[in-house]
Amino acid sequence: MFDRRKFLKLAAALAAAFGTKGLSQPARAALNDIDPRTVPKLLYLQGLSCTGCSISLLQADSPSPLSMITDYSQLVFHTDLSATSGAQAMELINSFIDGQAGDYVLAIEGAIPAGMPEACIIDHKPFADYLERAARTMSGAVAIGSCACDGGIPAAEGNPTGAVGLAEFYRNRNINQPVINIRGCPVHPDWVWHTITHLVLVGNPNLVNGSPRVFFERRLHELCPRYYDFQEEIFAEKLGDRGCLFRLGCLGPITFADCPTRWWNGGRTWCVDTNAPCIGCASPKFARQKDLPFYRLSEGKGRNS
Amino acid sequence: MQVDIGPITRIEGHLNVKTTVENGVVTDARCEGEMFRGFEIFLRGRDPLDSQQITQRICGVCPYAHAIASSTAQENAYRLQVPPNGRILHNLIQGANHLYDYLLHFYQLCALDYVDITAVLEYTGKDRELSKVRDWVKAEIDSGKRYPAAPFLPRLSGKYLDNRDANLGAIKNYLEAMKMEQKANQAAAIFGGKFPHATAIFPGGCTQEARVDLIVPYQSLIREVRDFIHHKYIPDVLAVAGAFPEYWDIGRSQGGFLSYGHLPLGPEPDSRRLLAPGVMFDGQVEAVDFNQIRQDVGNAKYSSPSNLRVRDAAITPQPNKRDAYSWIMAPRYAGQVVEVGPAARVMVDYAQGHNPEIKKLVDRFAGQAGIQPTQLNSVLGRHLSRAILAAVLADFLLAESQRLQPGQPTMASIDPPASAEGFGATEASRGALLHYIRIENYKIAKYECVVPTTWNASPRDDQGQPGAMESALIGTRVNNPEEQIESKRIVRSFDPCLACAVH
Repeated sequence: MFDRRKFLKLAAALAAAFGTKGLSQPARAALNDIDPRTVPKLLYLQGLSCTGCSISLLQADSPSPLSMITDYSQLVFHTDLSATSGAQAMELINSFIDGQAGDYVLAIEGAIPAGMPEACIIDHKPFADYLERAARTMSGAVAIGSCACDGGIPAAEGNPTGAVGLAEFYRNRNINQPVINIRGCPVHPDWVWHTITHLVLVGNPNLVNGSPRVFFERRLHELCPRYYDFQEEIFAEKLGDRGCLFRLGCLGPITFADCPTRWWNGGRTWCVDTNAPCIGCASPKFARQKDLPFYRLSEGKGRNS
Repeated sequence: MQVDIGPITRIEGHLNVKTTVENGVVTDARCEGEMFRGFEIFLRGRDPLDSQQITQRICGVCPYAHAIASSTAQENAYRLQVPPNGRILHNLIQGANHLYDYLLHFYQLCALDYVDITAVLEYTGKDRELSKVRDWVKAEIDSGKRYPAAPFLPRLSGKYLDNRDANLGAIKNYLEAMKMEQKANQAAAIFGGKFPHATAIFPGGCTQEARVDLIVPYQSLIREVRDFIHHKYIPDVLAVAGAFPEYWDIGRSQGGFLSYGHLPLGPEPDSRRLLAPGVMFDGQVEAVDFNQIRQDVGNAKYSSPSNLRVRDAAITPQPNKRDAYSWIMAPRYAGQVVEVGPAARVMVDYAQGHNPEIKKLVDRFAGQAGIQPTQLNSVLGRHLSRAILAAVLADFLLAESQRLQPGQPTMASIDPPASAEGFGATEASRGALLHYIRIENYKIAKYECVVPTTWNASPRDDQGQPGAMESALIGTRVNNPEEQIESKRIVRSFDPCLACAVH
């Protein structure tokens, strides 16, 4: 994994991109100690993605958009925000990947079509080529969201492109580069956030399946406010009911994520609070198998047998 | 000369446009969709209820539109009776998502084509945010970095707004719009479960309840966004129009307009809609018939048969197909090219005199700008249409939320049959969205999505007709053929989403 120097660089780059409001005072102080002029840059590229993770990152309480673009921004390229485009954009991207523009951390959203390179092209070259070249010059990589981590939806059973996540892509090419996996479809902005906090304050976080243990070590089911309902066997019988959603197919028991204590969209909501079963979007095997549907509405009828 | 102007940024996804420029005029344009994931292939054999969740992942910018289209297709297939609350909640979720999307498009995706970000260097006032931006841009430019003030610089050469106050106001609103987008999405997520990718939307309604403690924060958030739309967004659109009036005549697509109509006003499948459906050729509007839609793949990278109806669709990727230049198929309505999106929604409704608010706002703004309503088919027309729709939607959502009946059901009970088929049509913020599902032996046998950007950014069809965006580019005068800021303004006015177009 990253050495401490690389961790600090990654932390600073991510802080630069996403702001610092909402962090504890010591964490803010640590980040503020980093001179923005020397912060490594974050090069954000997308593969087989839906841009959902980028959109989710814009939903964070922090960044305040202002701190993102003034105090800390070193987001050198992001396809959804950059003013540049075309040949000018490619010159910028290539100058980083070729090692001519200084240190940078690669942020990847989306899967890689390992079996069909033509299925994701940037400037007439396969996305995979950029990842291989970047491996020689980057300080490290962060995989943002389930597609970049494990292939996600594009890697669902029967996918025609051979989609994989970044770590597997590098492993298959014998490229030894550290990748931090932050799963979720989409990723929760805090998960990206507090990873940075930990990196800055403590150093290497404990990882489980390549992801920070602090968010992904416990099953959603254990943390769920409806765990009491489960124990008391108060089950929702049909969609829209309150009670434990396990019998409707809730994947909380096999999903490692802290949604029940964190909540989403400014802390206003999360899936189970709207009586909707967890579909396991932060699981490495999210959506993978056809015979493991998201919902079990009526056992014993042909559809789930 | 031939110039590729991609990768085009500040859109969703991977798009290149291959242009031919002669004497400063674009004489040919080919939209190259450069990504393929295969949703319609890996949906086969899955549980039908998975499709609402999986198709949302076609697009993380407008996932709710796919959730609604999939749910509607399944309601159609299962013959579900949706309770009134269920339909209202679908509308509240999807409508709030549109508000966010219009603001995101104008400010984060398009504004940097018109606003001079360096104008902030001249700022001398006391606004804290603008002062910080000024100091930051100055420090970045002075730093000697290779790429200072990214992602706002570098930028293409071209004419930008030269009015200092207009620039400064737009920069401030660029920042504030992000906060408003969050609020719109929070409102949607109150009932949707989370954003992006809602879990509470289902065929038959919504699993969230209609409770007063949810309705009140929803209304409060939408009111804040509504104020921004009226006091900032609409004036900013008009300011850009005032400074770049030539764009009422640039970027006109050649063909018809298609809208499926937006937001049903009752639970029944054939309910009247807030915005009327229709297909319009030469100013004449007809009812939409899904059987008139066929998809050509002559120039798209598939080996499957061309010119198939939606329910007969087949998809076999062929990455190195000779002469094919895009992963995007070419859908056509009765063999003709149509544009979809906000301008199509507004023009199709206006031509039928359907929604009095649409008529009022079109007449008012067209009058102020001195244009004809037909000039909504233009770069500025698409921007103004979004602003008009945002204003109409915000009012509608506040009224619609008042119609919820707390304590009454929000969901129909679902019991998918062994075999069935259904269509679901709605309007994503980017335009007409159609899903088709066929179920056999309790599994998905066929799933097909005909998506807004598939219409707009389609390649040539088998007859050689260019797609809507290609036709809007051809004939454009460009000052710098290598960069073509003019062409990129046209492309962005369509708000293309490649993840949607090639799913």
